[in-house]
Amino acid sequence: MNVSGRDDIVIRVESLDLAYGNHLVLKNISFEVRRGDCLVVMGGSGCGKSTLLKSMVGLLAPLRGKIIIDRDELWLNGDKKRKETLKKLGVLFQNGALWSSMTVFENVAMPLEIFTDLGVKEVENLVDYKLALVGLAGAGNFYPSELSGGMRKRAGLARAMAMDPEILFLDEPSAGLDPITSKRLDDLINELKESLGISFVVVTHELASIFDIADDSIFLDSESKEILAHGNPKDLLKENNLTKVRSFLERKTVNNS
Amino acid sequence: MPSSCDEKIPRIEHHQNNSDVSITICGYWSLNSRERLRLLRRWESLVLQWKDVLSFEIKCDESLVWDSSLVVFLRNANRDLSVNGGQVVFLDLPAGLNKLLNLADEGQKRNKEQKQGPPSDGFLSMEALLKPLDFLGALVISFLNLVRGRSVMRWRDFFASARNCSASALPIVTLISFLTGVTMAFVGSVQLEKFNATIYVADLVSLAMVREMGALMVAIIMAGRTGAAFAAELGNMNLNEEIDSLETFGICSVSFLVLPRTLALFVMTPLLTIYADIVGILGGLLVGTLVMGFSALHYLEQTQSALTDMWEVYSGVSKSLFFGLIIGFVGCYKGVFSGRDSASLGKSVTSAVVISVTLIIIADAFFETAFSLLELR
Repeated sequence: MNVSGRDDIVIRVESLDLAYGNHLVLKNISFEVRRGDCLVVMGGSGCGKSTLLKSMVGLLAPLRGKIIIDRDELWLNGDKKRKETLKKLGVLFQNGALWSSMTVFENVAMPLEIFTDLGVKEVENLVDYKLALVGLAGAGNFYPSELSGGMRKRAGLARAMAMDPEILFLDEPSAGLDPITSKRLDDLINELKESLGISFVVVTHELASIFDIADDSIFLDSESKEILAHGNPKDLLKENNLTKVRSFLERKTVNNS
Repeated sequence: MPSSCDEKIPRIEHHQNNSDVSITICGYWSLNSRERLRLLRRWESLVLQWKDVLSFEIKCDESLVWDSSLVVFLRNANRDLSVNGGQVVFLDLPAGLNKLLNLADEGQKRNKEQKQGPPSDGFLSMEALLKPLDFLGALVISFLNLVRGRSVMRWRDFFASARNCSASALPIVTLISFLTGVTMAFVGSVQLEKFNATIYVADLVSLAMVREMGALMVAIIMAGRTGAAFAAELGNMNLNEEIDSLETFGICSVSFLVLPRTLALFVMTPLLTIYADIVGILGGLLVGTLVMGFSALHYLEQTQSALTDMWEVYSGVSKSLFFGLIIGFVGCYKGVFSGRDSASLGKSVTSAVVISVTLIIIADAFFETAFSLLELR
């Protein structure tokens, strides 16, 4: 058994079927994410990108299949074991999902206060460092309602990174942001990937971001509910002949006829 | 055939040739045109008349002026004429009109493919019955974890909730309980005057307040005020994925959000009930002294003699403990499981209040029956 090869894979998804009640959303989804890579999940609206993300971050139990995060099977074990596995990952939700009754500082500090034995001063230093990383130094005393959309996302990213996770899941990080703020966020993702070796799973349909940050990608299809294409988006653009994938990557209208 | 398309009205001209019909659209097609409505009625009768026709050709006159009304008409015409197997062909449509028709067709096709929502589980599914029990179980486990010192509940959340559902509620509780006491004193005095026993108004007011009205009034105020606020607050957190983000950190949302709120109501509702009992009795005292002419001391001595058995007070307060639990549980449950749109949030808040009040009345009736059967009254 090649142990080093196995360690290289940080997420393995095998034959995953996802459903809301009786409504099947995705079927037979399999892919892997290598350590330090950024995998982009792309596809049109309603194809199940966010549903897949929900299942990978422990919010939606799959109908069938496995999600293995760093050798721990997420949905096989009980609630307690799953919570332990979840500590290895951080999640940035679409609108930041900051806890509205707390300041930005408290949002980032809370996981540290709950899960570590760090002293007040240490927590303060760590939070200041995380906020500085995302360019929000000095914004700790603001409440989420006082922040712009871009700042909220960056604060959400700082909170997602609070516990030094090995994997970061980002749900449409650039959605609703202007091109400059969106580019800054992409640059930040690339910097974090390179300097901290964090693995990323990013759900997005922003083409500029996809080409900027992705090492690997999967393209989900709402009709077949399966992965239609898998590979580096730049390679897919050059080599993939499927109309849907090409139309998506070239931003063209699909001609159904 | 000469066409009369000069007037500012929409027109349809048609020719029938055995099993073929040729239709020419001309004139001025506007959403604001009243003539268009008249034309549509005529169109319906024409469709009936052509039910055996197999081929239709629709074309537009060069001088045609049109807006969305014509696009809608052509889409409907295509549907109406092909219902009985007729073939519809559009000829020489203006380029813009053609594009809009194609765009609308594609949009509808995409909609059919994508918008097949999940099937409803029905009104009373097993899940709908088990979910509240599951939630109750999670709340009990969270409470036990708190007792064992393993809970993630933050005490400052508890104190903030406690302040919100007690000190902030004092003005409304004071007003309602005082007026309840006043009203009962007036109603009672009318009946007791017939027996020349008006002093027993003090017994009536004090017993009614401590046994029943104090707890019930506070519970109803809390359900409308605090229960609704909990449902709205947690529903909004659910809407903004704040609850999901707690779960992804491995933080139990029941311990973190539901427990401090429910516990605050559990502790504060009895205290508010005792306060409401006292204020209600003072309301009765006001009527007894100012309207009936008793001295305050006489009235209070009569009240004291009515309340010698402290069980009367305890029974009301013990009921209010359960009322607090019901309001906290229902408000938080409805908030946590509200849908992810503003309409569902509104529904959750409404149903939190309605269900709380209903359960409070049912619980009250249950307690009174139990007290009566156990000869505690």
